[in-house]
Amino acid sequence: MNEMSPPKAERAAALKGLGSARKRVEDARFTQGKGNYVDDLKLPGMLFGDFVRSPYAHARVKSINADKAKELPGVVAVLTAEDLAPLNLHWMPTLAGDKQMVLADGKVLFQGQEVAFVVAEDRYIAADAVELVEVDYEELPVVTDPFKAEAEDAPVLREDLEGKMEGAHGPRRHHNHIFTWEQGDKASTESVLGSAEVVAEEMVYYHRTHPCPLETCGCVASMDKVNGKLTLHGTFQAPHAVRTVASLISGIAEHNIRVISPDIGGGFGNKVGVYSGYICAIVASIVTGVPVKWIEDRMENLMSTAFARDYWMKGKIAATKDGKITGLWCHVTADHGAFDACADPTKFPAGFFNICTGSYDIPVAYLAVDGVYTNKAPGGVAYRCSFRVTEAAYFIERMIEVLAIKLDMDAAELRAKNFIKKDQFPYNSALGWEYDSGDYHTAWDKALKAVDYEGLRKEQAQRIEDFKAGKTRKLIGIGLTHFTEIVGAGPVKNCDILGLGMFDSCEIRIHPTGSAIARLGTISQGQGHATTFAQILASEIGIPADDITVEEGDTDTAPYGLGTYGSRSTPVAGAATAMAGRKIRAKAQMIAAYLLEVHDDDVEWDVDRFVVKGAPERFKTMKEVAFASYNQPIPGVEPGLEAVSYYDPPNMTYPFGAYICVMEIDVDTGEHKIRQFYALDDCGTRINPMIIEGQVHGGLTEALAITMGQEIAYDDMGNVKTGTLMDFFVPTSWETPHYTTDFTVTPSPHHPIGAKGVGESPNVGGVPAFSNAVHDAFRPFGLVQSHMPHDHWRIWKIAHDFGLHG
Amino acid sequence: MEMNDEIRIEAPRSRVYEALNDPAILKECIPGCEELTQHSDTELEAKVVLKIGPVKARFGGNVTLDKTNAPERYSLAGEGSGGVAGFAKGGADVDLEEDGDATVLRYTATADIGGKIAQLGSRLINSTANRLAGQFFKRFKDEVERESVSVDSSA
Repeated sequence: MNEMSPPKAERAAALKGLGSARKRVEDARFTQGKGNYVDDLKLPGMLFGDFVRSPYAHARVKSINADKAKELPGVVAVLTAEDLAPLNLHWMPTLAGDKQMVLADGKVLFQGQEVAFVVAEDRYIAADAVELVEVDYEELPVVTDPFKAEAEDAPVLREDLEGKMEGAHGPRRHHNHIFTWEQGDKASTESVLGSAEVVAEEMVYYHRTHPCPLETCGCVASMDKVNGKLTLHGTFQAPHAVRTVASLISGIAEHNIRVISPDIGGGFGNKVGVYSGYICAIVASIVTGVPVKWIEDRMENLMSTAFARDYWMKGKIAATKDGKITGLWCHVTADHGAFDACADPTKFPAGFFNICTGSYDIPVAYLAVDGVYTNKAPGGVAYRCSFRVTEAAYFIERMIEVLAIKLDMDAAELRAKNFIKKDQFPYNSALGWEYDSGDYHTAWDKALKAVDYEGLRKEQAQRIEDFKAGKTRKLIGIGLTHFTEIVGAGPVKNCDILGLGMFDSCEIRIHPTGSAIARLGTISQGQGHATTFAQILASEIGIPADDITVEEGDTDTAPYGLGTYGSRSTPVAGAATAMAGRKIRAKAQMIAAYLLEVHDDDVEWDVDRFVVKGAPERFKTMKEVAFASYNQPIPGVEPGLEAVSYYDPPNMTYPFGAYICVMEIDVDTGEHKIRQFYALDDCGTRINPMIIEGQVHGGLTEALAITMGQEIAYDDMGNVKTGTLMDFFVPTSWETPHYTTDFTVTPSPHHPIGAKGVGESPNVGGVPAFSNAVHDAFRPFGLVQSHMPHDHWRIWKIAHDFGLHG
Repeated sequence: MEMNDEIRIEAPRSRVYEALNDPAILKECIPGCEELTQHSDTELEAKVVLKIGPVKARFGGNVTLDKTNAPERYSLAGEGSGGVAGFAKGGADVDLEEDGDATVLRYTATADIGGKIAQLGSRLINSTANRLAGQFFKRFKDEVERESVSVDSSA
């Protein structure tokens, strides 16, 4: 090595590649208020749209009179279903194979449903005009209880489907039934349950909530009538899929549509679907010939764009007397609202809920999910989780606790007894998944030790005695969770959305001076892609991350991909990035060998350069190779240094973690205090520990919100009772506790760099940890199951019902 | 949502009953009532300004009176729409019992509120509805007693 070569470790550190706690490159603009969100976009002549929405949950629309609205100065147009019908745009397809009204076509099916779209010269005039549109409704009976949806005399919600006994996911047995999805072995499971030594049975409800991103949904549609090109800026988590869907339903050729996702202020699944606002803004721009902006307000976001969860999960878990689980049975009643607009891969109407055997080696299992229509908003998106994985994790982690109570056994011990063992991976679960890798016992032992689990249990026992002796009014709950996720959808062989395979992509261009741009089919909504993907690439091609621009979200420039949700960016697009980097390196190796006048096989890769084997002083850096690729002819090699990779993952990845929450509960007020929260995540290879920590903090805070108060609640009339941030709980720093993060590393064997994805783990694992802590606090008094959200009133009610208020 | 209460009005039952059917008196007593038009013996049309929490809206609607059991019993039902603010429907059953020269009025009122007004004001609806019902009957009592006194004194 000559004096020009710094030591290997130093060169590697300079790249800021894998494992570097590199600062987020996005934050310079975000922290200075220089982000570029869709509502920042102001185009010349731009008009503004606003919706007339239904106050009723179920009603016939007898007439719409927009005359007064149209007379208001500044109002340009008022669109109704009648105007959209000739274009066949009054209905649109959903991601779940159903269809949804763009504007009310004869009736409304949920409160807040879009009835008419007012277009005006400014946002205030549009809002004023909305009040002038007179809609004559005839109220119809409302279905808000999913268990009453399939009653014989239940009103027909979807008249458009009347008589259609075949849905997108098989036969329908009732006019409000959407699908039944079955997995596993029913007969064997029932036989195991029938002969089991112990069976624990419980109904576990994961309530309806909402992703509530800081930035609501919106778009600016701009139809250029001269060149026939439609540009759609919007809050899209999947811009390429939006382009394809927009083309298919509008008839505009796909090359004439450009979709741009600018900076997005959080998505969490809420921005995956296609909403009426997008269609109406496009139509309005086509009609008026000028750009049209539509931005939701907070109430509209909470009551009309995609909700999450709302799963009633009935479980039966069988075990031997000494706590070895022998079988799991689950039936879900899934409340999908008025239209089936779940965002799941096509073949999975209940997403990956069949990961509900969790981290446990359960020999036999059966699952059935019934989806039903009700008079509630459509959605059912994966709120910071892979498709229905939070529901599955909550279900199994509650069932384990319920079983522990039935067995009178410690819940930590019960888990350890049933974990899939390290040598069982790859592990085939009873409900059909192949878990790629895991080492659950190591993680679990590390977690229990970190919190001094035995010490905590002793303290808890003492507290109960003190409570009974009247010395304290506060209880301690220890919430345990060991979750296994399934993320990174997914293999094209079984994962598609509207027929689009769920691969992802990366295209790399190395510039002559040795810096680079990488474009991906995903789109960051705060995850820090521009930071982490540059790090993956830096380690692959030896160019410093600081010299690599990462660009996403413009369908005219980025390669096709299915977008960012379900923790799929790192597992899929991250893999594409590594693979495209390897293509670059393969070509660079040929160039380096030529420059060094040796055979291709005689050079080897060394951090940021190719060196001649056995002669480390002879090398060419990637920077030198890049310049050579542009400035001299190399026999048999095309000029330039570019590559693209479309990565179809061979399997999902299975991140896991062990979370422990220690909570103090005031029996008299129902208030809680998180005394300690320990989160151990194993997301395989760690790309940027600082970003992982930030993701875990954010995800845990959302989990806290969901568990302890956040919900979309309806009254019997179908009114949304939690339509503002006054009633819908979003934690501030005041409610947010301190978190301790930790990790183990079990790389994914099939991912090019062994990474598994982490953004959603803390939401998946956090909810059962918080909820189990509440349940655990009251376990000595006989509590088995109490539904979320555990707000102060509901906790107070638990204490009250057990007579703890004297 | 259901509200009920009992009040004593210092006026004979026939007078109380009559007042309950008098659009002029009703208009005075209904909080926020801007217009009350009588279309027939049992049908009225009302315009009422309602304020719940941050939402203030003008509701237009129809009220139907049920006089079947006069003068012991008086019922009304109605519904109204406040446009984007939402809608309201409800009714009241009023029992009138003679107590010497006075009348004991017992009411059970129901109200269902929907739309934006229900969402924004969900924590305030019960208390607001109770307050409005209370206000109505308080004013009604004052109005009837005042008139009865004036009738007495002129006699």
